[in-house]
Amino acid sequence: MPFLEARCLKKSFPSPEGGKSLVVDLERFSLKPLSLCGMKGESGSGKTTFLHLLAGILKADEGSIILDGQEVSQLSESARDRLRAESIGYVFQSFNLLQGFTCLENVLLAMSFCGQVKKPWAKELLDRVGLSKRTNYYPRQLSIGQQQRVAVARALANRPKLVLADEPTGNLDPKNGQKALSLLKELCQENGSSLLLVSHEEKVIESFDNQIKWEDVNQVPSSMIEE
Amino acid sequence: MFQSHFMVIALLAWRGLKQHAFSSFVAAFTISMAGGLFLSTWKIKEEAQKAFNNSSGGFDAVLGARGSKLQLILNAMFHLEASPGNLSWEQYELIRDTRGVKEAYPIAVGDNYYGYRLVGTLPELFRNHEWKKGRKYEVQDGRIFSADAKEALVGDFAARKLGLSVGSQFHPYHGLDFDEKKRHQDTYVVVGLLEPTGTPSDRVIWIPIKGIQKMEGHDPAAAQSVSAVLLSLKGAAGFHLDMKYNKQGNQATLVWPVAAELASFFDKLSWFEDILALVAFFVALVGSLIIFATLRTVMNEKKREYAILRCLGASRLVVTCVVLAQSLFLSLAGIIGAFLAYGGIGFTAARLIREKTGVVMDPLSFVTLDQEKEWKSLWPLVQEKGYEALWPLVEPFLPLLVLVFGIFVIGFVSGLIPALQAYRSSLSDNLSPKS
Repeated sequence: MPFLEARCLKKSFPSPEGGKSLVVDLERFSLKPLSLCGMKGESGSGKTTFLHLLAGILKADEGSIILDGQEVSQLSESARDRLRAESIGYVFQSFNLLQGFTCLENVLLAMSFCGQVKKPWAKELLDRVGLSKRTNYYPRQLSIGQQQRVAVARALANRPKLVLADEPTGNLDPKNGQKALSLLKELCQENGSSLLLVSHEEKVIESFDNQIKWEDVNQVPSSMIEE
Repeated sequence: MFQSHFMVIALLAWRGLKQHAFSSFVAAFTISMAGGLFLSTWKIKEEAQKAFNNSSGGFDAVLGARGSKLQLILNAMFHLEASPGNLSWEQYELIRDTRGVKEAYPIAVGDNYYGYRLVGTLPELFRNHEWKKGRKYEVQDGRIFSADAKEALVGDFAARKLGLSVGSQFHPYHGLDFDEKKRHQDTYVVVGLLEPTGTPSDRVIWIPIKGIQKMEGHDPAAAQSVSAVLLSLKGAAGFHLDMKYNKQGNQATLVWPVAAELASFFDKLSWFEDILALVAFFVALVGSLIIFATLRTVMNEKKREYAILRCLGASRLVVTCVVLAQSLFLSLAGIIGAFLAYGGIGFTAARLIREKTGVVMDPLSFVTLDQEKEWKSLWPLVQEKGYEALWPLVEPFLPLLVLVFGIFVIGFVSGLIPALQAYRSSLSDNLSPKS
């Protein structure tokens, strides 16, 4: 039985002309437990919207998403909040760290919404991503690569069942990108988390055994989707 | 700190305000000023009135020349204003010997030393009179002047300001205001310094009444007159004397009771209180708008941050509470600031009143001694009369409660729209995936 399954998923946004533009039109997508999957797609093809649907950030117009036996699309907003806190880790392209908080506080804050704050584990995670000596640094005091590593640590803070990574190497140079990618995979494997990573970079996707092309699952041609 | 939602909300709110420290400071400062002004309008007038009432030097009434009662009080008791005229020595003796008059001390004014008044009186005032229940004047250094000598007993405040000590000699100046051209030839010697009393007598240089009457250069006719007579009464003497001097006679004016005349004086100042209250209201309005603008700015700049928090699993309620907590923090800072501002205004006012009148005002005495006693016997009172018995005790604090409650309401109302905005803001819009 798939750990994550999306069926007949549709999502559209109002278009500037007044109509609606369909962004996601997906027949079926599934992910096995503990799998690491790379999904390739062009920029602006609807991948981020798809990830947001999976995370319950957006609500689908139609279709269903089942995550670990729970029907995400049927959940109330507060239940989706809880699901995100407990079961989903998210890594953004632009890291999205909270600037007023230190590295350690960023990780602890993610734990606080799950209700289980474990400082030793937060420190261990930061140690694991090579930032043990910078736990009290603010994001602005870190390099871009270091910021992304904090984002990875934060995504794994609650030992989520699913980690969604949206172009996590997009803002990094190739060397740092490779490092961040390896780290993300390693940590997901160590923590027993499934990983779905989306990227437009061929090289990034090639590093995955399990590869999917977004165009193969999404039936909306990217040329129809507005940026 | 991250263990409870409450602490997380407080931390997020605090850090948010810290990131907009200047705007937050301006908002809290404006609210502080409004609160400080509000407290000042209420408390300073009340405290000043209380202080003036307590500074009547233990006298119940004043007899003086026909004229303004207020001028008579200010002149005879507070050593301010000019004397409305003189009474004859016989008039003094007449009232001294009247039934029901416990004490009568004549005073004579008309000279100063560097702006501090010389007041002539009898040495018995310092030996026998209680300026406050159970408190007689005490000499901290030296002795009381002799009735026939050119000697002076100096109030504590005047001595400190003028640098006078026992043995100092000085020449008085004519008139109540200092004019260096009007120096008298008489030389006085300081023979004693009074302990401070916190009353206008601290600002006075006391000399024998004959000294003023017979000062070189004074009108010889004044040698047998007094400026006023300070009176302590017993029984219903006040009514009889009021009838005799104010209603039937036309030679002199009796001020009795002193507190009633002072109350009517303070009532005349209520227009000033109204203006200050109006200013406080407008400052509060501006403060409220600044809190609103600050929280809106914070809200707008933090939309993305709130969206990230939502992505991490924070609920709408948490984000809303963060904005409301920020308004609460600004309100709390405003309340603390209001008390500090009031302290600043109150102490400045107290200092000015002390400098100008010698009256000691305590702007921070929110509980009077009587109220304190009552608070101690609170529970038996409630048991006896029910909770309604608490009202007289709560009433004096009402403006204080209104201030605290008012600032919280201002903060809450100002934070409400940004909080609702935070509640209603769309998570997906602020993370804005349109592709």
